[in-house]
Amino acid sequence: MERRDLFKLAGVSIAAAAITGCSSSTASVEAAKPIKAKSNGKRVVVVGAGFGGLTVAKQLRQKESSLEVIVLEKKDIFMACPYSNAYLGGIEGVTLETLTHDFYAPAQAHGYEFIQTEVTAIDKANKIVTTTSGTISYDILVLSPGIVYDYESQFPTWNKEKIAQVSRACPAALMPGSEHLALKRQLENMDDGNVVIIPPASGKYRCPPAPYERTSMVAQYMKSEDIQGKVIVLDTRGGAFAKGAAFKESWQDLFADTIEYKGNTKIVDIDTQKKIVTYKEFKDVEDEIGVEKTVSYEVCNFIPINKASPVIAMAGIKTNAAGFAMMEGTSFRSISDKNIYVLGDCVTHGVPPSGQTAIWGAKRAASEIVAQLGGKAFDSKSNLPAQSANVCYSMVNGNPNEAIMVTHDFDINPTTGNLKSKGNVPKPNDGNGKFRSKGVGKLTTEWFNGVKRDLFL
Amino acid sequence: MQRRNFLKILGTGAIIAINPSLINGVLRADDGNLFIAYNKVKLLDAQGNALKASSLKKEVTYVFLYPHVSTPCLLIDLEKPTHKNIALKSETSEEYLWRGGVGKNSSIVAYSGICSHQLTHPTPDDSFIKYVPVAEKSIACQERGVIVCSSHLSAFDAAKGCKNIAGEARQPLASVVLEYDEINDELYAVAVLGSDKFQDYFKSFKDELDQYYGGKRKGKKLAEESAKVVELTQFSKEVISY
Repeated sequence: MERRDLFKLAGVSIAAAAITGCSSSTASVEAAKPIKAKSNGKRVVVVGAGFGGLTVAKQLRQKESSLEVIVLEKKDIFMACPYSNAYLGGIEGVTLETLTHDFYAPAQAHGYEFIQTEVTAIDKANKIVTTTSGTISYDILVLSPGIVYDYESQFPTWNKEKIAQVSRACPAALMPGSEHLALKRQLENMDDGNVVIIPPASGKYRCPPAPYERTSMVAQYMKSEDIQGKVIVLDTRGGAFAKGAAFKESWQDLFADTIEYKGNTKIVDIDTQKKIVTYKEFKDVEDEIGVEKTVSYEVCNFIPINKASPVIAMAGIKTNAAGFAMMEGTSFRSISDKNIYVLGDCVTHGVPPSGQTAIWGAKRAASEIVAQLGGKAFDSKSNLPAQSANVCYSMVNGNPNEAIMVTHDFDINPTTGNLKSKGNVPKPNDGNGKFRSKGVGKLTTEWFNGVKRDLFL
Repeated sequence: MQRRNFLKILGTGAIIAINPSLINGVLRADDGNLFIAYNKVKLLDAQGNALKASSLKKEVTYVFLYPHVSTPCLLIDLEKPTHKNIALKSETSEEYLWRGGVGKNSSIVAYSGICSHQLTHPTPDDSFIKYVPVAEKSIACQERGVIVCSSHLSAFDAAKGCKNIAGEARQPLASVVLEYDEINDELYAVAVLGSDKFQDYFKSFKDELDQYYGGKRKGKKLAEESAKVVELTQFSKEVISY
């Protein structure tokens, strides 16, 4: 098969998936039958088995064992996005097995049901979710479906074929799975040359420090493998990104000859055949003209802008312009539907879209759902402000492993009534005045191990 | 304590539960749900002699293994008397009462060293959980005199039954109930109060139990008669605390 034909086919399959994912009209008669008859008890259906979805399912069952909890997930295997940069960077002991887990063990341990299927429609008036396996009714619906990439908005001139081509040749690796494996394979197979990393150009995106941690980890990998070349970051944030000062300090100290950060750029095109990125570089934020430049690459990690999973739109709940769900005060309940909760990346609370925040929100949501179903009052403002509700580590060096951290306190935003957060990037007491330390490196590993215990034990 | 709950605990087999109300003035629980009496174990110093409570360095974290021979607990003399009769709540909303510290100054406390959040605990190699003395500030919270588990920055108020006050933890660290022999200035561990996480610990750390304690089965054995108390910095090669 010609390479071009392969791309064509890939384009077709993406298009088909998009249609299936957004419309209920394709659901067959067979698929419209109920997956499971509803009993007399209360049923919570959870869409998405990531950090938020798995946590809320476990917590609901732990808090109220009479609840029937059903988790719907399109993937057959769990793979974590947090800590995956350590895998890409070749940090000792971090393998694919570290990042993955089966869904069956926690479902069995906590007595919830796991169904591998894809949601195609949500009828909130009748409280019915339609999936590729059939329909399922709910008393409470929890949506934790994560993000999708928005190549279309970022590059309106790109057709589906071009998008498919770029997404495979330059894997974003912000949604775990083949993208991470492809990026890892590309790094392992690369010759001397450049790795270009392109963070999302604008808007809210999953795990804000991720592209910059990846920059460190790729530089670390190239150093350990003696690959001659640069890690070039084509960013739009002018250096003002998550944990910016801490990342830049570590880049200067550890990889000054390898990492080239360009903070005022705009991607014009990616030629995956010639392996060239064309971009405009601006002098500063005032410069609107810029200079067009090209850079050739061995590996390109292009992360498009993010938007909410189409599952949020299917639910017909109130969202902002980017499709993220509007929330009721400090609750994780939709502002427009009292029987629908939203977790993780898809909320409009002013809290970081991190794995730990997804877990934090899921635990609060579980308490509120149990109260709601039990006809009891729940104060979603309880335990606020919450100190160190989020902690997020980023590995910046390997052998020795060193990392940086950010903590966030959560509180009520008096203007919106939603949650807000305040970040702090501390210098650890074992860092000799630097943001990074070996101790924080060890905690990065322990953080991830702890999260896995929380999700799967 | 409900009689039904009391019987339920008795029914678990190896562990003997005692209704706290039966033992006047010693036990700290008002509700037997989160109270389990284990072997009465005398605390010894690093040399194997009876530990003199007054010999504990102030605000220093010590470790001993209780109630199982592989479950690390933290022992601290907070220097100042603790608060008393603190009402605490487990993650599953069960309420219990923590009576306060022991010793001449009512300042000695002991807690499970297994974090009630995601089970981080001291090992012979490293520890990410410890008491942060009042003079030091933790990254986790504004409050002072806290036990901090640095892996997810959960903080617990050591003078208030290790009530969870910051981070992801949704419940206190389990308390180890201590008895103080005033005449001899000696300490005994007798029970555990609160949600202890021991079974999750045994499920999660098979390799570690193999490495340090001769396997899970041996690690599950209950401490008998005595337990040696060592400073955390001696127990773990590396202690990381923010």
